[in-house]
Amino acid sequence: MPHYRCFIPQDALSFDQRQEIALAFTDIHCGSTGAPRSFVSVTFLETPEGQTHEHGVGYYLDGGNRAGRSEEVKQQLLSDLTQAFARVANVAPEDIPGRITENPASWTMEGGFVLPEPGEEGPEWYAAAEAAAAAD
Amino acid sequence: MITFNCTIQEGIVPEDLRPRLASELARISTGFVGGNPDEVSVNWIEIPHGFGFRGGRLSTTSAVRGEIPPGLQQETRVELMQSIQDMWMDLTGCTTDELVVSARDRRDG
Repeated sequence: MPHYRCFIPQDALSFDQRQEIALAFTDIHCGSTGAPRSFVSVTFLETPEGQTHEHGVGYYLDGGNRAGRSEEVKQQLLSDLTQAFARVANVAPEDIPGRITENPASWTMEGGFVLPEPGEEGPEWYAAAEAAAAAD
Repeated sequence: MITFNCTIQEGIVPEDLRPRLASELARISTGFVGGNPDEVSVNWIEIPHGFGFRGGRLSTTSAVRGEIPPGLQQETRVELMQSIQDMWMDLTGCTTDELVVSARDRRDG
């Protein structure tokens, strides 16, 4: 966690664009929340022409985060992510609807640890994340 | 009803291993929350190479997201996630850093 799922039309984005969006999302999320970079997952799901995905048609940004952040932080995060997505995809931000849903951190185990609540990350958690990143 | 959505990166989890993984997910989860293993649903979502990233780099991470009946004690939930993690690492050979396991309360309606 976090996990951002980007619904995109088939063949809409090149590999370079997808990677640029993934990097931008990582920068934005970590800049906003202080989370370790290695915890930010971004997945692109293509929808063939004439078909729909679970949120309808076209672009959609579906984020899943740990619960516990203020509504203001969440809205700013979604806005910043959408702006970056739109810039790289070369579409209007209004054409990328989205949402961020939340679940308790304690419902997820990542890197061998149950995730801490936002603001309760101890030094051992950051150390483990850094070690994982260094091992890549 | 217990459901697992397993998101895996292309080439990371062999197709012939998936029935065993699904069977183990059913066995382990019903062992903690009850129910019939035959009624556990396991869905596979394979992300093509170049479409999954972690930390801005290509991902090798598998995400095993379970939805379980609400109300499980946190201590038991952790034991469930730990058991799934141990099983998955044992069968696939992945490391702890290549696996995300969640056990979320099912939202009805």
